[in-house]
Amino acid sequence: MEAVTGWWDDFFWGSLVVVELFVVALFLTILFGLIGAAAKLSKSRVAHSIASAYTIVFRGTPEILVLLLFYFGSAVTLTAIAQVIDPEIKFVDIPPFWAGSLAIALIVGSYATETFRGAFLGVDPGQVEAARALGVSNLQTFIYVRIPAMWRLALPPFGNHMLSLIKDTALIAIIGLEETLFVAEQAIGTTGKPFTMYIVVGAIYLGFSTIITLSVMVLERYANRHLEIAR
Amino acid sequence: MSFDFALIVDSIPKMLMGIGLTFQLLFLSAALGLALAIILLLMRISGRWYLAAPTMVYIYIFRGTPILVQIFIIYYGLPQLEFVRDSIFWPILREPFGCAIVALTLNTGAYVSEILRGGVLGVDRGLKEAGAALGLSATHRFIYITSPIAIRLCLPAYSNDVISLMKSTALASTITLLDMMGIARTIVAETYAPYEIFISVMVIYLVLTWFIQRSFGWIEKRMSRHVKSEA
Repeated sequence: MEAVTGWWDDFFWGSLVVVELFVVALFLTILFGLIGAAAKLSKSRVAHSIASAYTIVFRGTPEILVLLLFYFGSAVTLTAIAQVIDPEIKFVDIPPFWAGSLAIALIVGSYATETFRGAFLGVDPGQVEAARALGVSNLQTFIYVRIPAMWRLALPPFGNHMLSLIKDTALIAIIGLEETLFVAEQAIGTTGKPFTMYIVVGAIYLGFSTIITLSVMVLERYANRHLEIAR
Repeated sequence: MSFDFALIVDSIPKMLMGIGLTFQLLFLSAALGLALAIILLLMRISGRWYLAAPTMVYIYIFRGTPILVQIFIIYYGLPQLEFVRDSIFWPILREPFGCAIVALTLNTGAYVSEILRGGVLGVDRGLKEAGAALGLSATHRFIYITSPIAIRLCLPAYSNDVISLMKSTALASTITLLDMMGIARTIVAETYAPYEIFISVMVIYLVLTWFIQRSFGWIEKRMSRHVKSEA
């Protein structure tokens, strides 16, 4: 373990990048999931087929493939556009942070689409009808009736999506983002201790997974707090 | 920028040469992973804490860390340890193929054992009690009553895990293996045409996903032919 001594601060900054990635990607995942679920539940046939294509493609292809396609694809496109403006430019890319968080958010968002769709369908229609009978507006029904009820159903699977998200951040080291796995590679370059360094990375991720699992437990208890007596 | 169709036609056969390796990775680690999962399941439900506790730790670690980190620990990390290099497993762990199989097996085993546990827990208590009342031993009850029902219950979740295992095989390309993904990455590095190559290989993976889904759908239908549909 002595080999790690000089690298703790690098691992710390690497972990911070993982946290930033996770937060950005989590926000985008929820956004894509909600849009996808709305499209799947809408009466518009076009929206429905676009959302279906989205979930089929992103749930059926390897994560690393989506990531590389995004990163290198955007680089080729941006470079081509830049060369029209200035032929001197050799290479332009989206920063790996944004390409990476967008890619993993799209992947996990496709799973979240199905989760949210199922959860919205699971909301008791009687509650929505009751709100309508009380003269509550559509928007208010959505915010105060549908969302809290749906959230309760969506939380357990969504907890798993958050775990996939944090684990997928490791892939982004492949396109050169300086997160923990990337730090480990640099540390191995100077210390020649791959086992030690990768175990440190594993331990960091295990810590993150534990935090997420515990937070989901707390959130679940909070979401179900009105049902405590009934159980 | 243009879409080079000649390149696609040219490189699809090359990428299909890697499909054999993808299949080998998939089938070998699925079979070994299932065997591992059954052992873990039996240890977990044995009711003896000294068997159940190690399984829970194992599952916690392997589900809480990214598969990419696990692959790196096994392929790059283990050779650092002297006793691994002296052990009988060295011929397997020396090769990237062996490492990929070991990593995928250990990973999928953890997930599948949780799925199997869900299935076993889902079996109706009354059936087991009926078996006990008829004088069946615990072993016989497990083989003739619990297992068939549990298998049926966990098939849908298991098919999802086989799909995610198939997606994980693409990560073998990060440890120099030339599976479909590895070949695709090589071609992109040579031609710098990420859209053409990655989208074609994406389509191949989608077909594989579809095929796995259909096969499991068929098995599921066949296995529940005695069960009256609840609808």
